[in-house]
Amino acid sequence: MLYTDKTYDSQKRLTNWVRTGKESGVPGATSNGLKQYRRLFRNNINNSLSQAYPISFEVLSDEEWSTLVDEFFEKHDAKTPHIWKLPFEFYQFVKANNFSEKFNYPFLNDLVHFEWLEIEVYTMPNEYPQPYVKSGDILNNVLEVNPEYRLTQLEYPVHMYAAKESVNHKGDYFLLTYREPKTFDVKFMNLDPLHVLFFEKVANENLTANQIIDFIIDQNNSIPRDKLTKSIIGFLETMIKEKVFLGYAENYLN
Amino acid sequence: MNKKVNIGLGFRREIANEFLEANSVQPDFIEVAPENWIDLGGYWKSKFKEVTEKYPLVLHGLSLSIGSPEEPDWEFLKKLKSFIKEYNVKIYSEHLSFAKMDNAHLYDLLPIPFKDDSIKHVVKRIQQVQDFLEMKIAIENVSYYTPVDAEITEDVFVKKIVEEADCNLLLDVNNVYVNSFNHKYNAHDFIDNMPLDRVKYIHMAGHNKVSDDLIIDTHGEAIIDPVYDLFDYTLNKMKYNVPVLLERDFNFPEIKELQKEMEVLRKISLKNIDHNVVYR
Ligand SMILES: [Fe+2]
Repeated sequence: MLYTDKTYDSQKRLTNWVRTGKESGVPGATSNGLKQYRRLFRNNINNSLSQAYPISFEVLSDEEWSTLVDEFFEKHDAKTPHIWKLPFEFYQFVKANNFSEKFNYPFLNDLVHFEWLEIEVYTMPNEYPQPYVKSGDILNNVLEVNPEYRLTQLEYPVHMYAAKESVNHKGDYFLLTYREPKTFDVKFMNLDPLHVLFFEKVANENLTANQIIDFIIDQNNSIPRDKLTKSIIGFLETMIKEKVFLGYAENYLN
Repeated sequence: MNKKVNIGLGFRREIANEFLEANSVQPDFIEVAPENWIDLGGYWKSKFKEVTEKYPLVLHGLSLSIGSPEEPDWEFLKKLKSFIKEYNVKIYSEHLSFAKMDNAHLYDLLPIPFKDDSIKHVVKRIQQVQDFLEMKIAIENVSYYTPVDAEITEDVFVKKIVEEADCNLLLDVNNVYVNSFNHKYNAHDFIDNMPLDRVKYIHMAGHNKVSDDLIIDTHGEAIIDPVYDLFDYTLNKMKYNVPVLLERDFNFPEIKELQKEMEVLRKISLKNIDHNVVYR
């Protein structure tokens, strides 16, 4: 650094003022000019966050929301050069600093996570599937998964109920968030644990439906195979229709 | 960008479709902030691809923070360099300000103290960036609402930095007007004191007069006549033609209003072309 310590100190005072709104003794500055900076900078952060988190913004009182934005701007050193990724750091900040307890909103961590997921999946870099074909044997061919997804576990079903209502439905929820090819729309799907297992086996192990059914019956042989197969076919057909599965992986076709 | 006069328009999501429709807005080039498009996939990536296939692209950065005390963000610069290459970008500019302090981003522009040690510091940073990117960058005079710890005047500060760093100048004529109003100096004198032979690119924009003694540089209104006059005055003094951008960031009007503003910019540029014998 070729700044003198005094110049560095002046910059530091200016940024402290902008981040906190607390008198910082910026040398040679006008009070009106300083006020503008504080207003413009805080508005910019607030706009970016309230647009990214419309539900949280709605659910929290004005005072709670302000507290959150003020504390974030003051205490969190933002790392990303891309302001559209700042909402991710906000989500991490809310979680790490226990605002859900402070505000007594048990669902808050899940809510900000859910809202972030929509942005994350909407903006994530393009990923391309392996070659696939449209027709195949649903039970005996490997399905090709749409690679643009996130699978997340939530405690409060903020994706199914109004946030405050979700408190009455605490449990284990699995949320699949994915980007539809061509339209680029973000879609959400609630999966039950059996279907999560199924989805993960296809996505990570390239197993066919019948192989997964074998695996499940191996674990628990009280499940009747016919019934399981029928329900799995229904599930897979929905997943294909909803473009979570794009078709049948060419590499595994015999 | 091979016309004698090139008038561009900032590509913004709110008016994205207009850039792609026939018989809508027809800029000679577009400008974006690389920070808003690097790392992006999905819908906007595909729109970006479409629009950059249609128009030459100029970059105007937000987060480099050339006036930060800390070292440049090399990770970011690496991505920027490949982005510049991928989209065949000929002009990359940044603000003469800081937007990050001790590695904490603030996402808006703060004034660097106008002092000799700041000149030394910023000159070194510009040189580091130019060396890394293997191209000259253009540095923009920014609007500011208070001086901070200033020991010299803004015009001397800008001129010395651009000359000592051997970089280009992005002259924002609206910012000159806004600052001259807010800080009570003569805008024409300021233009006279700029190293006009280093101007590579010009910005024009509207602003918002919020009180009798304060203008905020919002890019949310139409360009006003005194700023057109100052633009005319500047071009008259310059020896080269450079691309001119209409900056509009929010409060978007009907697209034909922007087209009209661009036509005024073109007319003034064409009027001044006679004495501008060398094309750049
Ligand atoms: Fe500008």
